Amino acid sequence: MPYPSAYDELFAADGSVRPEVEGPIRLLDKLGRAQFKARQRLADSAFLKGGITFSVYSDQRGTEKLMPFDPIPRLVTGDVWARLSRGLVQRIRALDAFLGDVYGKQRILSEKRIPRDIVEASAGYRKQLAGIVPRGRVFVHVAGVDLIRGPDGSFAVLEDNVRTPSGVSYVLANRTVMKRIFPSVFSQSAVQSVDAYPVRLRDALGSLSPRKAGEDRLVVLTPGPFNSAYFEHSFLARRMGIDLVQPSDLFAHDDKIYVKTTAGPSRVDVIYRRIDDEFLDPTVFREDSLLGVPGIVKSYAAGNVTLANALGNGVADDKAIYPFVPEMIRFYLSEEPELAQIETLICAREADCRRVLQNLGKMVVKAVDASGGYGMLMGPTASQPELAEFASRIRANPRGYIAQPRIELSTCPTWTGKSVEPRRVDMRPYVVSSGEPWVLPGGLTRVALVDGSYVVNSSQGGGSKDTWVLEASSS
Amino acid sequence: MISRVAESCFWLHRYLERAECVARMLGVNRLFLLDVTVTPEDRWLPLLTVSGEQSRFASLFGDSAHLDGELVQDYLTWNCDNPVSIATCIHWARENARQIREVVGLEMWETINAVWQWLQNTRTRKLYYSDRDGFFRHVRDTVSTVHGVCHDTLLHDEPFDFMRLGMLLERAGQTARALDARHHMFGGDAADISAADAPAETAQWMALLRSCSAQDPFARWVRGAPTRADIVKFLLKEESFPRSVLHCIDRASNFLGRIRSRQKSHKGTELTTGLARIVEPLRYKPITTILEEGLHDELTRFISGLAEVNEGVGSEFFGPGVPEELA
Repeated sequence: MPYPSAYDELFAADGSVRPEVEGPIRLLDKLGRAQFKARQRLADSAFLKGGITFSVYSDQRGTEKLMPFDPIPRLVTGDVWARLSRGLVQRIRALDAFLGDVYGKQRILSEKRIPRDIVEASAGYRKQLAGIVPRGRVFVHVAGVDLIRGPDGSFAVLEDNVRTPSGVSYVLANRTVMKRIFPSVFSQSAVQSVDAYPVRLRDALGSLSPRKAGEDRLVVLTPGPFNSAYFEHSFLARRMGIDLVQPSDLFAHDDKIYVKTTAGPSRVDVIYRRIDDEFLDPTVFREDSLLGVPGIVKSYAAGNVTLANALGNGVADDKAIYPFVPEMIRFYLSEEPELAQIETLICAREADCRRVLQNLGKMVVKAVDASGGYGMLMGPTASQPELAEFASRIRANPRGYIAQPRIELSTCPTWTGKSVEPRRVDMRPYVVSSGEPWVLPGGLTRVALVDGSYVVNSSQGGGSKDTWVLEASSS
Repeated sequence: MISRVAESCFWLHRYLERAECVARMLGVNRLFLLDVTVTPEDRWLPLLTVSGEQSRFASLFGDSAHLDGELVQDYLTWNCDNPVSIATCIHWARENARQIREVVGLEMWETINAVWQWLQNTRTRKLYYSDRDGFFRHVRDTVSTVHGVCHDTLLHDEPFDFMRLGMLLERAGQTARALDARHHMFGGDAADISAADAPAETAQWMALLRSCSAQDPFARWVRGAPTRADIVKFLLKEESFPRSVLHCIDRASNFLGRIRSRQKSHKGTELTTGLARIVEPLRYKPITTILEEGLHDELTRFISGLAEVNEGVGSEFFGPGVPEELA
């Protein structure tokens, strides 16, 4: 049954297939139920064989989970995608400028376009980094922007994710599996390829190396095989053809970073690091971090190693800074925002906070520094004690929370094991930048597999779909 | 290359080799016992000896437990506390591969992952009970597949060299231990007795050869009626046989040389000379001398020398830490 008042990605309100995606949907439909089920099984076995897993290794025998995969693709037309891409590029340029400014002259603060106290109170703002200019002035090398589609079918940004966004390996892995199970549908559907991602990322990283290409060493830094995204770290290293290192492989000397090799220490120039800021260097951030490389921040400040993403990006991911991104676009780029975003009440502001507390049952409240769907309150479905508890948390620490109206996420037809039913989805496109942002034509469509649910996170019962961006119409 | 990665390459292949050796040994022994009468002591105990698990096994299950063939097989196949059981070896082979997926590449990873998943499958347990021979055969076949995919899809550069080095050192040790476990069959005077004169023991020799995949190559190599000395010579010294001790050590030396030649800083040559030293007696002593002086002593010397070489590889390449001048 369609969800009332939600936009469906593939079907119009009258139940007919949207004309712009009709071709591929008809081809899928023609396969018939038995074929479809057979190919679903093929997909599962392909994921298993590839060891394309997430989740932690809790004991010796290990539990590696497969990311639940739904074989019905989500389709986006080329024209819609082109508009989205422009908006994403604009946003990443503005966020990059903001980060450079906030750790530099702080013009946007002194001109009072963003309140200084909100920035300075952000857990992601690290004042130790003031004055450090990353190579090429690039902060956001990779972004994974979460988009949702409201009832009117227009996209809006939910989160920018400019720290260490994950999930792109599933985009590529999902595509490989989809090509295998639906070859004929692909060959007739003009779907844009996602294969360029590793090359683009490697180029972006390489162009920001402190030393000459060919003499330099690029690495991916992972916390280790126990990390839930380890598959992705290793996948990206393999596809970029560069080494995957763990913190204990690296050490700092004389403001340079070295890796321990069989032939002795060897200098490292660019680190695509998948460890959060606070764990990266125990001499600067958390002292108790065992994942860090002592001295790495000093080497970075000296310009002898490029870190991607740059340090300190967390301030741009703060949910209380997010409402100001349109302002950043106007301030730094003198442009109007191309992408909408969700109206947000900042509890740090007294008037906003009052409104939030009065309407708690209608709102979605989020901790400003949380992600992964944790630390949030879904007002409309929360119990009275939950509401009361959250209200007291907000009163105790208003800076820690923001509130947004609950958006009716769009739905996409999804295979439930028995039949095809609508389930809510979001979408995370990926942007790579070494100065000029590039948007991967595809993305991770996450789907809430539980009927009626709004939570798409893989840690909480979500799955993923392949996202087919069709070639733009030539007209 | 990164030291940690080199270590994983080395151990990945040592574990693969162990799993394969254990599978072959168990499979051969089972079939051998079906139509040959040997003393109860000689039925399964040698397998525990070869794997170095004799005392742990006795302490876990009791002093006469080695008479229970099913228990020995179960221990060497499935036991997670046994560091050389097939299940443990495949688990660690895969775990090492998982940590260096970017190095082993997709195709090799998938073949290793497939063996591991196959072992997890309940149907595989059923196969173990319904067709034991088929089970051991499958382990051997899939490890061979991994080696083939490795050889044909990886760059033949440093990671590959460390894999081969690990495999060859492990294999040399396995052959030496397999021979050592049956050394009493090759005592002093009996050395030149030919198979024709001792039909009852021929089956045992053949089982030893089979457990080293040597039956057919030996038959092609040997001239005239084979003697026990021929078997020992073949397994120890025959350079053209890929599982002979000398062959493995010579190839291991080559790979060590290749690894060194890629490195700008030439460190000591201890390892290479260490390898040369441990095979010297095997290379130059006539087989009759080795048998007269005592095969067991010779092999014991070799096996402990090999352990030192393995440690040397570890300390030189894998655990260098931060050099003092840079700390």
